[in-house]
Amino acid sequence: MKYVAQASIVGSMTVAFAAFSPANAQTIVNQWDQFANAGVTAAGPAMEELIETCQAELPNVTIIRTVAPSIGIRDVYRLAVSAGKTPDLAYTWPAASVLAGYARTGALAELDSYAEQYNWELNDFSRGRNSYNGHLYAIPLEQDLMGIYYNKDLFAEHGVAVPTTYAEFQAAVETFKAAGIIPIAFGNRDRWPATNTMSMILGATVGREGEEAVFFGDEPWTNAGFTMAAEVFAEWGANGYFPDGFNGIGFDEANALFTSGQAAMNATGTWAIQDLGRNATFDLGAFVLPPIGDGVPPGTMWGEGSQWQIAAIASQDTKDAAAAYLNCLTSPDKQQIWVEKGFLVPIGTDPDDIQNWNTLPIVKEFYAAGLADGNDNFYDLHTTVPESVTQVLYPELQRLVGGDTSPQAFLEAMQASWEAAVANGERWTP
Amino acid sequence: MKQGRAGEHRRLCLIQLKVAKRGDPMHQRSFAPYLFILPAFVLYALFVGLPVAQVFAYSLFAWDSGTIKGFAGLANYVRLFNDRVFWVALGHNAIWVVLTLTFPVAVGLFLAAILADSGPNIRRIASAVYFIPRTIPLVVAGIIWGWIYNPLFGLLNWILRSVGLGRFAGGWLADPDSALLSLNVVGAWTFFGFCVVIYLSAIQSIDPALQESAQVDGASWWQRFTRITTPMLNRTTLFLGLYASIEAMRFFDLVWVTTGGGPGYATEILTTQIYKSFFLVGDFGYASALSVVLLVIVLTIGTSAFLWLRER
Repeated sequence: MKYVAQASIVGSMTVAFAAFSPANAQTIVNQWDQFANAGVTAAGPAMEELIETCQAELPNVTIIRTVAPSIGIRDVYRLAVSAGKTPDLAYTWPAASVLAGYARTGALAELDSYAEQYNWELNDFSRGRNSYNGHLYAIPLEQDLMGIYYNKDLFAEHGVAVPTTYAEFQAAVETFKAAGIIPIAFGNRDRWPATNTMSMILGATVGREGEEAVFFGDEPWTNAGFTMAAEVFAEWGANGYFPDGFNGIGFDEANALFTSGQAAMNATGTWAIQDLGRNATFDLGAFVLPPIGDGVPPGTMWGEGSQWQIAAIASQDTKDAAAAYLNCLTSPDKQQIWVEKGFLVPIGTDPDDIQNWNTLPIVKEFYAAGLADGNDNFYDLHTTVPESVTQVLYPELQRLVGGDTSPQAFLEAMQASWEAAVANGERWTP
Repeated sequence: MKQGRAGEHRRLCLIQLKVAKRGDPMHQRSFAPYLFILPAFVLYALFVGLPVAQVFAYSLFAWDSGTIKGFAGLANYVRLFNDRVFWVALGHNAIWVVLTLTFPVAVGLFLAAILADSGPNIRRIASAVYFIPRTIPLVVAGIIWGWIYNPLFGLLNWILRSVGLGRFAGGWLADPDSALLSLNVVGAWTFFGFCVVIYLSAIQSIDPALQESAQVDGASWWQRFTRITTPMLNRTTLFLGLYASIEAMRFFDLVWVTTGGGPGYATEILTTQIYKSFFLVGDFGYASALSVVLLVIVLTIGTSAFLWLRER
């Protein structure tokens, strides 16, 4: 006990000395992130290693890290912002519409000068989703992709090939249903998983251009393409594509259903790749849902998932230190650490590089499939529409897929909340 | 003569008042009670009055992502009238109040009456066992019952299938028709033991001579229960009813951890709507307006019951 106390005093003195000595002026950056060691976005080991690496590269920067669960961090972050206690640096979700809300209210620092200083290269899609009024407010990191994980053993056992058309996909579902196997593991008790599934179906039905006509144009939600997508999702719910009682099954429980071999497919994204890759008791594969609508090019829902953002209330020294640290975290030479230690693929990573790195086979397979048609990839609903619309989307999707509302009524409810949000100035445009 | 006495009385009162103003000890004593309640009053004002005033003030503004946009007057309250979800949530709260008053309170009364006639050991053990669910935090109860109701591995479906009633198995919390009722069963499970303990102590305070006389006169157990025990427990029933009603209006954790208000809006209640408006949308103004409405409802229930109790 005595030694602990002594060590504590010495440690405190060292920190105090380091903090106040002009020769070794330390800038402390308080970081909030969602990289846990299990569950969604479980890239914790990579984060820990990169903090050590970047602190070594930036000897005057000290990172104090707080980990918040991925699902909860957006709520905790909102509370911190509204209380005037925005953490210096945060990695939270979602970008685009919600990020725009923080930028609009002056909670975040503009990053244009840092992007120029450090030569951060972002493609137009990522830059748009992290900007507000033409200014950059966040830096994305992970490349999220939506797709369909599948059990290669079950596919082989039942003579099902990876579908390349929507008709083949439907035939595969029917094959598994006939064999008494749950076709797609799906749990929507947490309310948000249906958003991803619907985003995938929507993009495959109307394509990116069809989505942009609504999200950034004047086309109503009740248009023919969106109606068809809503009908498809309702059919999936009604026709036994999912396990019974899916609105009462949790996201993790659905994943467990799949990894234990009780379901043939699992429609979710790369945010679950760490857990699925580690826990699958079979040969795991992934493919992209084939186009549903006529003439729609192949593609999948993608996005940046979450993004790094710096607080406007942080001191200039802290902002500078945070930006330097971000530059370290997102630099190309750190991509391999993210991929190998966190199974997280940073935006801009060359899919060919991933093939040569020491990571899970599913990471290589999923990104090869998901990035093959990058130019035609499309939007994720709940990171694109404002929060007030998202809070209508969640329950209405539960009702749609549960058969408690019609596709038309669903889209009318969405249109009403969309109009209210637009009138309230909440719409985000890139 | 009468007027003369009245005039004399007024004169004496005025004299007493003047004396009191000069520092009469009687007058000084009249301040003492206020001094005694002052610390509690200050604490109450700081930790209850001020936050309530703050919430009311918030409700008068328009907010964007947790930041004030401008003064909105009563616009947030007007919005309530056209908000379908608000009325659905309020209806669910009302259903919850009725169900809570019907089942746990009634079951608690019945079990307490049975236990009152049992031996002391059985009474002690049984009331402790009944009370155990009350000691379990609602979050934990929600998780436990979430597992019991789970469509994949839930105990309830397993039991139903094991006894040949598999056709009744289903997604208890996934089906809008059964979700609210299924949750209310959990609420009743956590509350009935409390009712048993309160009723039991109230029954034991009833004069035993009443029961004995009725027994001598040949009254059956049921007659004694309905004609003596239940009427004598009116005030206890009123207290439990009031307590249950207020709890039913402000409960949150059980719903949040099990369904989050879903599926759809099937288990949406006022507190989940407040949480979503505040924490998820960042619309502090509307969330505050909802909170003020909830406060008014709870205060109305509480005040009405208090006044009724005082009259009786």
